[in-house]
Amino acid sequence: MSGMEIALTAAGRYRWRIEQRPPMRVPGVVFASEALLPQDAGDKALEQVANVATLPGIVRASYAMPDVHWGYGFPIGGVAATDVDEGGVVSPGGVGFDISCGVRLLAAGVDREELDPERIGRLMDLLDRTVPRGLGRGGLWQLSGPEELDDLLLGGARYAVEHGHGVPRDLERCEDRGVLAGAAPGEVSTRAVERGLQQVGSLGSANHFLEVQAVDQVHDPDTAAAFGLRPGQVCVMIHCGSRGLGHQICTDHVHAMDRELHRYKIDLPDRQLACTPVDSPRGRAYLGAMTAAANYGRANRQLLSEAARRAFATALGVGLELVYDVSHNLAKLETHEVDGAPRRLCVHRKGATRALPPGDPDLPADLAAAGQPVLVPGTMGTASYVMVGLPGNEAFHSACHGAGRVLSRHRALRTVRGEQLKSDLEAQGIAVRPTSWRALAEETPEAYKDVDAVAAVTEAAGLARPVARLVPLGVCKG
Amino acid sequence: MDGQQPAGRSGSGHRSVPHTADLRVEAWAPTVEGCIGELVRAVVDGFADLRGAHVVGERGCTVLGVSDADLLVGVLEEVIYRMDADGELPVALAIGRIEGLDGARTVAVRFRMADTATAALVGAVPKAVSLHDLDLRAGPDGWTCRVTVDV
Repeated sequence: MSGMEIALTAAGRYRWRIEQRPPMRVPGVVFASEALLPQDAGDKALEQVANVATLPGIVRASYAMPDVHWGYGFPIGGVAATDVDEGGVVSPGGVGFDISCGVRLLAAGVDREELDPERIGRLMDLLDRTVPRGLGRGGLWQLSGPEELDDLLLGGARYAVEHGHGVPRDLERCEDRGVLAGAAPGEVSTRAVERGLQQVGSLGSANHFLEVQAVDQVHDPDTAAAFGLRPGQVCVMIHCGSRGLGHQICTDHVHAMDRELHRYKIDLPDRQLACTPVDSPRGRAYLGAMTAAANYGRANRQLLSEAARRAFATALGVGLELVYDVSHNLAKLETHEVDGAPRRLCVHRKGATRALPPGDPDLPADLAAAGQPVLVPGTMGTASYVMVGLPGNEAFHSACHGAGRVLSRHRALRTVRGEQLKSDLEAQGIAVRPTSWRALAEETPEAYKDVDAVAAVTEAAGLARPVARLVPLGVCKG
Repeated sequence: MDGQQPAGRSGSGHRSVPHTADLRVEAWAPTVEGCIGELVRAVVDGFADLRGAHVVGERGCTVLGVSDADLLVGVLEEVIYRMDADGELPVALAIGRIEGLDGARTVAVRFRMADTATAALVGAVPKAVSLHDLDLRAGPDGWTCRVTVDV
């Protein structure tokens, strides 16, 4: 559908519809205010929403969250569910290269008012020295070899905790208790293994970060308390994924499916949407490899949490308790009601977070009454949100995953120099530890949508509602 | 646009093109092999300054693909793989002549490699190559290509 004019019609409060027309199989639905809709000429985010609607087996609609922006194949902020028993497909591009990229929030036993700039500076220096990121192969955990990596791919964060990297309570506060069942290390290529072997416990680069934050505002004190958050509390937010291993798995399976499209007579408007029936040998192989990468991503964030704990213990003498860990690049087999009947669906969330409402049986016992924490990182100069899932979410219990980019990296570079940005942020009391000036400038807060508006629209559209707003105190950029 | 402007596209050059998710790069050269080489150099220069890096040796590989555009993707993927798996980035590369028929293309590449630990990071590190809007074509002034790289 390249070059196609996309016509949006208003279809409810902060809800827009892209009418279904061939070869779309369902309509597109975009949750956004007018200000949050992709604005730039040449931006293909809405065209990508329509392209996703052509996938075989897709049900209900191709959804876009309020932070939607132009990706490749799927838009970033896209949600699509396919009916497994009706020939529905799985598309690695609908998960993304960085499989199980996600966010983890930890709450510290210290309040903002107890920290002066000198103590924050000392903590940030320690994190700067001890959190591997940027270019290079080093990770925090030197595995003995491919066999131990296989164990980690099967065991995820649980394997890390069992080997002394964390405490059992951490697993209670991870999606799927830190490990997804069904990983198939045998479907992970040698190249993926080689790339992943030396990166367990590393942030990566670009938009990945480890940020020290403070709870600035609590919108719902009871739910915040259930999550373990209180006003003024210092927190740590970690954003990263499955590193080279996940990227290689996506690469390998996109290539394989791209070559085999003719076998299933699948015609696609974008090669990056390459897909195959979920219920096929290739579909099962991808899901097994994807699950292995998801477990790697969770173990990776577990290791980084331990580095943050060591830094907090050394610099401030306090501990960190896990609030929650979410993945926002994943496909999951879930049962949802479609047209009045329960259906087995493959739900792709590409830059979207699962957002379970209170009472959902998949929630850990101590969060059953409150609902699932939805972690929404904003920018290093503005704010981030902790939200909670709402009942009646039509997008298969999904919500936004961040602020959403509006500027390309090279346009961002023209708005500010890295040195100036660091100085501006430090004048606001935010300690910055970059890996390069350019990488810092590419992530300038101006490059993103207004996260307050994204959170407000996410609530108004009935996807999730704000529980707490967090502001940055210090950031280690990848 | 960053990089050299495509004045008539008679020589070789590259530039980055706006894309909100990741890094999109265009390159042009008189030959298809030169075009691929220009694009690989553009991507590497976009995130690593190798001027003071320690050269560790040479590596060769043969890339297979159904089209020349897929060969371009394959050569970039080789660079990313070597960076992660062996800690090496190319300071120079030599691309052999593309051979084979439509549907079975092949190209041999030699890289002069440097140790990534001695490189200076200057931008977001590429991790994968997307097939979205991938393009490699011949025109009246030579060859042009465009690729979107995940960072």
